[in-house]
Amino acid sequence: MTRRQPRRHTSVDGRPAQPDAVVIGAGIVGAAAAFHLAEAGHRVVVLERGAPNREGSGTTAGNLHIQAIHTRRPGQEVPVDNRRFLPLQRRASDLWSTIEERLEADVELRRNGGIMVAETAAQERELRHKQEMERAAGIPTELLTGDQAREALPLLSGTVRAATWCELDGYANPLLITPAYLAAAVRRGAEVHAFTPVTAIDRVEGTAGGYAVRSAERTWTAPVVIDAAGPWLGDVAELAGIPVEMAPVVIQMHATVRVPPVMRHLVQHIGEGLSVKQASAGNVLVGGGWPAQRRHDLAGLAGGRGRASLSSMAGNLAQASRVLPFLAELRLLRMWAGPLGATPDEMPVIGEVPGHPGFFVAGGTYAFTFAPLWGETLRNLVIGKPPPEPVGDLGPGRLLSGKAVDRSP
Amino acid sequence: MAEHEVDVDVAVVGGGPAGLAAALRLAGGGLRVAVIDEAGELGGQFYKRRAAPIAAAFGDFRPEGTALVQRVRAAAGIESLTHTLVWGAADDGGTLLTSDTRTGAAGRVTARATVIATGAFERTAPFPGWLLPGVVTPGFAMHLATMDRTPVGRRVVLAGTGPFLLPVACALLDVGVRVAELVEYNRPYRPRRDAFGALRHPARLREAAGYLLTLARHGVRIRQGWRVIAAHGDEERVRAVDIGPAGDAASRRVEVDALCVGFGFRPSTELARLLGCLTRPDPATGEEATAVDEDGATSLDGVYAVGECAGIAGVHAALVRGELAARAILRRLGREAPGTGAGGLAAARRRGRALDRFAALSERLYPVPADLATSLADETTVCRCEGVTAGEIRRAAGQGWNDIHGTKGATRAGMGPCQGRECGHLVAALAAPEGPLAFTARIPLKPVPVRTAMALGDLAEGDDAA
Repeated sequence: MTRRQPRRHTSVDGRPAQPDAVVIGAGIVGAAAAFHLAEAGHRVVVLERGAPNREGSGTTAGNLHIQAIHTRRPGQEVPVDNRRFLPLQRRASDLWSTIEERLEADVELRRNGGIMVAETAAQERELRHKQEMERAAGIPTELLTGDQAREALPLLSGTVRAATWCELDGYANPLLITPAYLAAAVRRGAEVHAFTPVTAIDRVEGTAGGYAVRSAERTWTAPVVIDAAGPWLGDVAELAGIPVEMAPVVIQMHATVRVPPVMRHLVQHIGEGLSVKQASAGNVLVGGGWPAQRRHDLAGLAGGRGRASLSSMAGNLAQASRVLPFLAELRLLRMWAGPLGATPDEMPVIGEVPGHPGFFVAGGTYAFTFAPLWGETLRNLVIGKPPPEPVGDLGPGRLLSGKAVDRSP
Repeated sequence: MAEHEVDVDVAVVGGGPAGLAAALRLAGGGLRVAVIDEAGELGGQFYKRRAAPIAAAFGDFRPEGTALVQRVRAAAGIESLTHTLVWGAADDGGTLLTSDTRTGAAGRVTARATVIATGAFERTAPFPGWLLPGVVTPGFAMHLATMDRTPVGRRVVLAGTGPFLLPVACALLDVGVRVAELVEYNRPYRPRRDAFGALRHPARLREAAGYLLTLARHGVRIRQGWRVIAAHGDEERVRAVDIGPAGDAASRRVEVDALCVGFGFRPSTELARLLGCLTRPDPATGEEATAVDEDGATSLDGVYAVGECAGIAGVHAALVRGELAARAILRRLGREAPGTGAGGLAAARRRGRALDRFAALSERLYPVPADLATSLADETTVCRCEGVTAGEIRRAAGQGWNDIHGTKGATRAGMGPCQGRECGHLVAALAAPEGPLAFTARIPLKPVPVRTAMALGDLAEGDDAA
């Protein structure tokens, strides 16, 4: 791996200086990468097709999943490798702890802990198994009986027979964190170009290497390109002739009207896609990765986010109200759909593309929780330092569909 | 499982003049119709019904509305679903999701054609002091005076623009309010070439003259070309208002205990937009109105929009438009042969066009101030649900990263219980004048109980939302 140092920013022939890195996609991963690279002294340009934080990063639940991820989204065919996740979650948890100081911003970070409930005997067994795995990985969780769980959160229903408690679980406001990363990056010299779709990415000939990234009006040339386009990661890579296989889906969220503070914890379910929490403003947010309308799949998303599904709405709310009966008496204010840049194996993807030096991709599932880690990881990979956690097995090589075109000159 | 299932030929959403006229004609043609309205009684805003004790003591309000409602109530084939909120839709409008506004009971109305007659909202414009108690819209003051016989205050300034301010002033005088000033932003009540067109509408002229005469008899001063600058008061209520000539720093303070400010009406297009009907900017106001053809057909097959939601044109136009849409649906469903009553159809279309011309004239006489949003001081609250100021919206938009949706996310403007109905046009004007004119319409169109939403769990994927 070559070590890349920030270049001197001299302008030649009155033309604007070229960046050290072009980040494509101003979602949370792109914004975190931009911040960490700018902090390390790199000249960073962020190119965003629409408005920053408009897609998955701004529409996600905003959960910080520190206890093991055990649940599949409704319709999710492949489970995540939750054992592989644990060291990454542990590290991400530490990074989230200092994020507000680091970004000099209030992102409504709440680390009040989380409860993952079980309602059946089989789920309770799963919970015990999960807790042993967490203990081995150094994630502090505690097994609670149903009554202990209700003591911690009296709003839980009688159907809850056991739960795990993790003090590190929490949430942050998805509407604030990505703008905070971008603002901090801009303060360190990064440029953000919103409403600037990338139309072409070409390998630069000659010894300097790198890529020419074109929009309708301008071309940026940089030795490093970071493709953080979330669900469209594969489409952007395709512009550089790199066939990365992604499996994006569109999921939905629900918000009630504001109510006085009633719950401080994140509530999840070990057997079903469910997350419930009360946002700082007072709205209770209900999610769990339930699918939005199929006919508004990603291909139809170019001009919008898709539409929430009524059957998912009814299913998600019924399940949430079964676990937390007070929800049924609140009023539903809003629901929305948003894309999730999943991979076929449901694992994150991060790293340099084999055969395409300087071309990095980063995304995949649980990108919100992992964003601070992915930001630091990308910075280290770019400057040739070992990442905070090894990610060699999460590289894009596994998603290249064999037809990868090596466009090296 | 929905608790109320209604299947009809035509669902009419909104029981105001346009919806009622449509329903009567549809039922007359032999179709089964459901008229759905959130309120407890049909009539909409214009033909609002007085509660029985008030009607007994003070007489009927707009008797022609009472007669229309009675005809609808008596008509065979019309089911009146009052206290019923339409909060969502599926099947391109063929299925409407409802909620009983009293009990939250979930319901579903399925139909072969849908008439959207959702009316309009009053256009509010923030100014320093607009959140003080006692600062209300003219429509609210009118409601109190006409429905409850309750004066909104003892000494009131009525301000903004539009012909609506005249009947409101008269209604306030009728319940003993002292109307200290009528502050009209435009100068419609002086001879000008533009106004000659009104001579073709003698009935409308007589109506306006009648109001002006009443105001003159009570010595109400009409200031034309003036506006409200700021209101002053305390926690209890508004105490005074500064008014002055538009575009001039001079001002005059008037003591009041209530202040009514409104700048006409804005089409209520949420349901139409949720279904995906195309909208068009209203040429005079720049507001988004549902795009329709001469008979009210929207861009979506089987969905019609009539009355104010398709463009502000007043009650007479609403009645004609309701009738025309009903006849188009009757033809569509084979209940009226294309040639039938052709003379009547041509006459109704002619009348519709004439009333549209009158509406256009009215819009020329009472244009909405072009700087309604842009003149707002940074510290003035724009989104009152979430407490967001004009300055916060400008700063969020000023980053260059945000369109109207990004500005909503960055500031929370439009995220409250009114879902951006009140502030959406202002946020759009402040943040992204070139972009959409309103926030995206989504389900639920208005907040509904979670258990109402849960009750629709038996929806198959094929029934999924529009």
